[in-house]
Amino acid sequence: MPPSITSLSDEARIALGTLGERAGGIFNAPSLRLGVTGLSRAGKTIFITSLVHNLIHGGRLPMFEAAWEGRLSKAYLQPQPDDAVPRFQYEDHIARLVTDRLWPASTRAISELRLVLEFESASGWGRLFSGGKLNLDIVDYPGEWLLDLPLLSQDYRSFSERAVALARSPARSDLSGAWLAQAGEIAAHADASEEKARALAGAFTSYLAACKADSRALSTLPPGRFLMPGDLEGSPALTFAPLPDLPDGRAPSGSFQAMMERRFESYKTAVVKPFFRDHIARLDRQIVLIDAMQAMNAGRDAVIDLERALGEVLECFRPGRANPITRLFAHRIDKVLVAATKADHLHHESHDRLEALVRRLVERAAQRIGASGAGFEVMAMAAVRATREARGESDGETLPLIVGTPLAGETITGQTFDGATKTAIFPGDLPTDPDSFFQQLESSSQASIPPINIVRFRPPRIETDDQGVKLSLPHIRLDRALQYLLGDRLE
Amino acid sequence: MTADHDPAKRSAADAPRAPRAFVPTDDEARQTARPETAPPRRPTVVSGAVALTEAEDDPFLREALELPPAAPRRRRRLTPGKILLSALGLLLSLAIGLWVDQLVRSLFDRLPWLGWTALGLAAIALIAFMLLLWREIRGLMRLARVAELRAEVDSAEVDGGGPVTAAEARRLSHQVSTFLGNRAQTARGRAALKALDGEIVDGPQLLAFAERELLATLDREARKLIVNAARRVSLVTAISPRASLDMLYVAWEALRLVRAMAILYGGRPGTFGLLRLFRDVIAHLAVTGTVAAGDSILQQAIGTGVAAKLSARLGEGVINGLMTARIGISAMDLCRPMPFKALRRPRVSEFFTDLSAFAAKNSGTKSAP
Repeated sequence: MPPSITSLSDEARIALGTLGERAGGIFNAPSLRLGVTGLSRAGKTIFITSLVHNLIHGGRLPMFEAAWEGRLSKAYLQPQPDDAVPRFQYEDHIARLVTDRLWPASTRAISELRLVLEFESASGWGRLFSGGKLNLDIVDYPGEWLLDLPLLSQDYRSFSERAVALARSPARSDLSGAWLAQAGEIAAHADASEEKARALAGAFTSYLAACKADSRALSTLPPGRFLMPGDLEGSPALTFAPLPDLPDGRAPSGSFQAMMERRFESYKTAVVKPFFRDHIARLDRQIVLIDAMQAMNAGRDAVIDLERALGEVLECFRPGRANPITRLFAHRIDKVLVAATKADHLHHESHDRLEALVRRLVERAAQRIGASGAGFEVMAMAAVRATREARGESDGETLPLIVGTPLAGETITGQTFDGATKTAIFPGDLPTDPDSFFQQLESSSQASIPPINIVRFRPPRIETDDQGVKLSLPHIRLDRALQYLLGDRLE
Repeated sequence: MTADHDPAKRSAADAPRAPRAFVPTDDEARQTARPETAPPRRPTVVSGAVALTEAEDDPFLREALELPPAAPRRRRRLTPGKILLSALGLLLSLAIGLWVDQLVRSLFDRLPWLGWTALGLAAIALIAFMLLLWREIRGLMRLARVAELRAEVDSAEVDGGGPVTAAEARRLSHQVSTFLGNRAQTARGRAALKALDGEIVDGPQLLAFAERELLATLDREARKLIVNAARRVSLVTAISPRASLDMLYVAWEALRLVRAMAILYGGRPGTFGLLRLFRDVIAHLAVTGTVAAGDSILQQAIGTGVAAKLSARLGEGVINGLMTARIGISAMDLCRPMPFKALRRPRVSEFFTDLSAFAAKNSGTKSAP
C-alpha cells in the first residue's frame, strides 16, 4: 500500500467538519459537493459557467430528466457556505463569454459557488419526505494545484529524484538545461543561502513554465503553485527546488539541502494539505475534465505526460460507496464522470474514438474506482459548443467538417486565422484502437501521432429566438453529464 | 470523372462514348462507411461549398421529442385499493375456514362416516388449491425472469462501459439456454452453443451467436403463429354478420396468440400471468406504436386503399388482421428472453402482403358462387 497522504489528525478534522455539515443538513436542504477536476486549461471554469447558465435559464437539457420532465422548478445562486473563499464570478464569466465572445482567462485563485435547485420528487413519498431542495456546491481552482496532491505522499528526496529524472528525459532535456546546470553547481551540503535558493527556484519555475507552453503542452509539472502561485508568491514556502543527485544520509543542519527539505515540508503543510482537506476530501461527486485534444495536438510526449499526470492525480481522490453510517462523518465520491472536453472540436462521428482514447488515458484510475464500488463513466462532452457540423468535399473525398470561427493566431496547414472569419475545418482522424496506439507511443520515442490539427474556436454567437429572447448556451452532452452526476439526487 | 461531366468537352468530342461505371456522389454508404483500416486523413481547411448540417439532423440540436420513449416503469406499491382487497381476501378465507369447520363438525355429529368424507374432500380441495396457487406463482415468476433476462442482455450490450465482456456474455447465454431448456425446438441450438463453449472470445459475438442458434427456430414458429392468427381474424371479420362479434373474436384471438407466444418462448403463464402479460403487451403496443407510426400507418392507409377495391368487409378484415399481427409482434418482444439484435424483428408490412394476398384469394373464392 502506498504511504497515506493524510495523517490521523487530518482525518479527524475532515470527519469533524463533515459531521458538522451533515448536522446542518438535517435542518436545511441537503448539499452536494461537486468536484470539478481537471488539469489547467481542461475547461473547468467554462463547465461551471455553462452548467449554471443552462440550469438557471432553463437551457435545452433533454437528457437531464428532472429538467426535461419539468420537475426542476427553479435554480438560483445563493451565498456560499464558506465565507473565507472568494465567490465564483459567474456574472463576469458569462458576460465575457456571451457578449465579448471570449473564453475566460485562466483561473488564478480558488473560488466557490452555491447553486440551489428546487425540484419536486417524481414519487409521492419522495415529495413528502424530501424538502425538494438541493444545494449544489462547486469549487473552481487553478488546475495546476491538482498536481500538488501527489506530493502529499512523497518526501523531499523522492520528489527530487522524480523531478530530476523527468527533467533529464529526452522530452524535456532541452528545456531543463539551464536549471539543471545551475543546480549542479550547488553542493547539497554547503551552507544555505537565500540568494542561491531564490535564483534556483526562479530557474526551476521558468523550466516548468516552458514545459507548459502550447508547443509542448506537458502536464506532469509539480509543484503546482510554482506555475500559479495565488497569494503566496515570493514566500519561503515557494522558494525551493529539487536538487539533483542528493548524497545519501541525512542532510546536516544548516545545509542547503536541509533548507530545501524544510521548505518542501512546509509547502506541503501550509499549501497542499489545507487545499486537500478543505476542498478535495469533501467531495460527493466528481467530474474529471480531460482535454485530450490539446495533448494530441502537441505530440507523443504530451500524451504520455498527460496519462502520467492524470494517473498520479486521480490516485488522491477517495472514491467509494458510502453507507448511511459512514456518510455521517466521511465524504466518499460515489460517482466519477470522466469527460473528454472540447468534443465540439470534432465531428460527432469521431466522438466514439475520443471516448475510447480518454478511457485508455485513465485506465488505471478507472480500475481503482471500479474496485471501490463507485460508479464510473466516460463521455465526450462540450460544455459550450462553439461549432456546427457540416460536410464538404476536399480532393474528391467527402469529409465530416466542423464550422466555427477560429481564434486569432490559430493555424492549420500553413493558414493563420484572424479570429473573425467562419471556417470549415477537418481536424484529422483520431486513432481507431487506443490500446495499440499507446503501445506504439510507449515503445518508441519516435512514434508519430496520426496527423491531427485541433483548431481552437471562439465562443459561439448566442442566437436570439423569434421573441428576441437570448437562447441558452449550446452544449454537447452537458445534459447527459448532469443526469449522471445529479439525476439520482433529484428523483 | 470530371472530364465526362463537362458538357463542353462531350459535345466537342462527338465520338460514341465508351461504357464505364461511376460511384454516385450522393451514395450514403460511401459517405459514412469508411473502413477502419483506412489511413488517417490529413487535417485540412475546406474552402468553398460546404453543406452545413441542418439543425434537424444535428444530433445535439434535435428536439428531444424524437428521443425514444422510455419504457413505462412499473412501480409496485401499496395502494389503498390493494390493502382493501387483501384485507377482504383474508376475511373471506377466514369465513370459508369457519364454514368448512362448522360443516365438518355438524356432519360428525350426525354420522361419523359423513364427517370423515367431508374432511377428506376438504383436504383434496386444499391440495388442489395449493397446486393451483403454486402454478400461478411459478408462471408469474417465470414471466418476471424473462423480463429480467431480456433487460440484462439488453443493458449488457448498450452500457457505457464498452462492449460486453466474454465472461458476462457466456453467463448470459448460459442462462438463456437454461431458460429455454424445456423447449424441444431449441435442442440443436443448445447443443451448438455448448459445443462452442469457450471458443468465441468476443462478448457481443457470443451473444449474437446465442440469439441466432437458440431463437431462430422459435422466431420462425412465432411468425407462423402470428400469420395464422391474423388470417383467421381477417377471415372472421370479413364474414361475420355483426361488428360486436368481430371485436369479441379479435380479443379472444389476441389472447390466444399471446398465450401461445408465451408458451413458445418457454414461459408457462397461468391465468393471472396471462392477464398481466396481456396488459403488458397492450402497454408495449402503445409505446412502440408511436415509434413505428411512420411505417405502419402508411401501411394501413395502403391497406385500406387496396382492400377497399376488393370490398369494404375485406378491407376491415385486413385491418383487423394487421392489428392482430401487431399484437403478436408486441407479444414476441415481451416473451423473447433476448432482445432483437442479431435477428430481425418481423415487421407489420411483411404480414400485410400475406394478408392482402390471402384476402384477394378469398374474395375470389367468395365471389365465385
